[in-house]
Amino acid sequence: MTTAIATLRRQVRAYPVFATWLMFLGVMLLVGLVSAAAVLWVGLDVTNLSNRVPWGLWITVDLSAIALGAGAFSLSTIVYIFRVKSFAPIARMAVFVGFVGYTSAMLALVMDIGRPDRFWHPMVYWNVHSVLWEVTMCVIFYSAVLVFELAPAVLESEAVVKRFPRGPQIAHVMHRFTPVVSVVGLGLSLLHQSSLGATYGVLAARPLWFKPTLPVMFIVSAVAAGSTFTLALTVFYENVIGKRQISSKLRGHIAMFAGLMMLAYLYLKLWDFLATFYYSHLPARVEANTLLESTTPYGTTFWWLEIVLGALIPAIILLTPALRRQDLWVLLGGFLAVGGVIANRWNVTLSGLVVPMDWSPGAAQLFSVQPYTPSLAEWGVAIGVLGYALTMFTLGLRFLPLFNHEAHGEH
Amino acid sequence: MAEEKFFTRREFITALTAIGGSAAVAIALSEIEPLAELIQRELALELPEVRREVAHARGKARHHWAMLIDLRKCIGCQYCVYACQAVNNVPDDMRWNVYVPEVTQTGVPFHMTRPCMHCQDAPCTAVCPTRATWVRDDGIVIMDYSLCIGCRYCQVACPYEARTFNWKAREGDSGYQAEWGAAEVEPRPRGVAEKCTFCVHRIDRGLAQGLVPGEDRPATPACVNICPVEARVFGDLNDPNSRISRLIDELPTFRLREDLGTEPNVYYVPPEGMTL
Repeated sequence: MTTAIATLRRQVRAYPVFATWLMFLGVMLLVGLVSAAAVLWVGLDVTNLSNRVPWGLWITVDLSAIALGAGAFSLSTIVYIFRVKSFAPIARMAVFVGFVGYTSAMLALVMDIGRPDRFWHPMVYWNVHSVLWEVTMCVIFYSAVLVFELAPAVLESEAVVKRFPRGPQIAHVMHRFTPVVSVVGLGLSLLHQSSLGATYGVLAARPLWFKPTLPVMFIVSAVAAGSTFTLALTVFYENVIGKRQISSKLRGHIAMFAGLMMLAYLYLKLWDFLATFYYSHLPARVEANTLLESTTPYGTTFWWLEIVLGALIPAIILLTPALRRQDLWVLLGGFLAVGGVIANRWNVTLSGLVVPMDWSPGAAQLFSVQPYTPSLAEWGVAIGVLGYALTMFTLGLRFLPLFNHEAHGEH
Repeated sequence: MAEEKFFTRREFITALTAIGGSAAVAIALSEIEPLAELIQRELALELPEVRREVAHARGKARHHWAMLIDLRKCIGCQYCVYACQAVNNVPDDMRWNVYVPEVTQTGVPFHMTRPCMHCQDAPCTAVCPTRATWVRDDGIVIMDYSLCIGCRYCQVACPYEARTFNWKAREGDSGYQAEWGAAEVEPRPRGVAEKCTFCVHRIDRGLAQGLVPGEDRPATPACVNICPVEARVFGDLNDPNSRISRLIDELPTFRLREDLGTEPNVYYVPPEGMTL
């Protein structure tokens, strides 16, 4: 015991920055654990959710984490299905980011449902008419795909090889199935990434949600932001260890792909806006929008956080060779794209919910906009989920051979 | 730009082949027995003749329960709200049956009350990921609390805000029992959704005892029984001679948000001064 403490002390002195980072992660996880305990013990009463606004911060965390994990299926598809070999060095990192994203989302979801003990019910009591059922099934199956795709990296890691020398052999066999598994992964991702948008898009009673563009915008924004995030995280890691992991040519290609997807997303957003607010004036929708604009910062956050900062500027950075060559710009682009997708998922969720339903036949303004600010426990759980994701990134990048095999064992 | 082009011809061709292959896999999958059956069943449901058949089968169900709320008669006493809270054991912040003061377009005040609409095409049942809620053959939308995972999608989907959620564990009864009648239903556990049931426990028990729901009080929803001005009428739409069937034939009625196509089973008679 004393020797362990002595070793720890020596390690902390030798790597003060890393030690501080781990402490920081520990605090985040602790905050998350305490908040999660409160939620499980007391119930969802500790949240600021209500019968009018039953979904909030956690759904935003969940949707954002899944969107940011979309780099996994997008880049895997390019490598294994379109056989663009030059993208291969980023494939494992993308799968790893996806794995962290999906597990984070599942953590947030388990906290969000009223009966976490029944999380398995959708798998047994199928309701094929429910978008949410389809999403649940796809997310579960896709997580299995991610585990399969990530397993070779674990089997080839130093720690595993030391105790289990046959690991790489098994990894090699598994790797041969990757193209097939990727097809399955692509199918599952195409389904649920869009269905998450459809979760809102199919509800006829909510005028701000009810439109066929939502599923498409969800998947395109996820591919764009997810790929940007994977790239930015890679560049960040390169700076931490002071060594390039992907060639500047590949970096250019990924940036170009993500940038073009970002443009496609902006194009969809533009036409969504034009079709729903500029060229048409559905009374319920206009009314809901006016109500939002006058009582919430929705308008400002939509135009600035979602469009300008969250999509337009990242697209410019990613598509300008002079900018994307510089690490700082790529990191800024990644940061903004992540912020943009979070702002979008928050805005979509809350805009539809805070506008009251109009079911009464009378003319009185019965219900006003229902304000929602997450409670301390909600923030706590969100911080905990973020802490989990950051811890996974730290451990994965430290111990798993996520880039080329030559780099393995060198940091 | 010093970067080379995105795809070589070879890569492009393999990509096309891969897409073709995926399509083939998808087609092959649809041949698998249970999946093919499922697809066929789903497709069949959309055919108009099948829809008509389903509607007919529903019509052939022995009963079709519905409620009529006469807004001309309602005096806003809210007895229906309290009786429901007593019998169904519903606390104040989770009311199944709500009252709101309203005005017509011409400014005439009237009293609006709203139970669950028991829609025939209920959005809440369509979105439930676990089949914890469904429309019975007799038209009642019901829940199985033991299947509910508490995702609250039904709350988000319901156009009438008819669903409430058990945010916390319940302690004791709702508090209305002494004045408004004994609780007939257990409180629901923490973490599940709930809603008005048309007092389904009374209907099912009453039918088993040979009573007629809507006419015999023990088989009739609490809110209907308590109403001092008989503004609420309950009964069987499949029986052309039931009171509710005759009233719907005679009076001008409307249903809430008919534009959404939910086909509610709660009918309203408009108040004085309201044009339909």
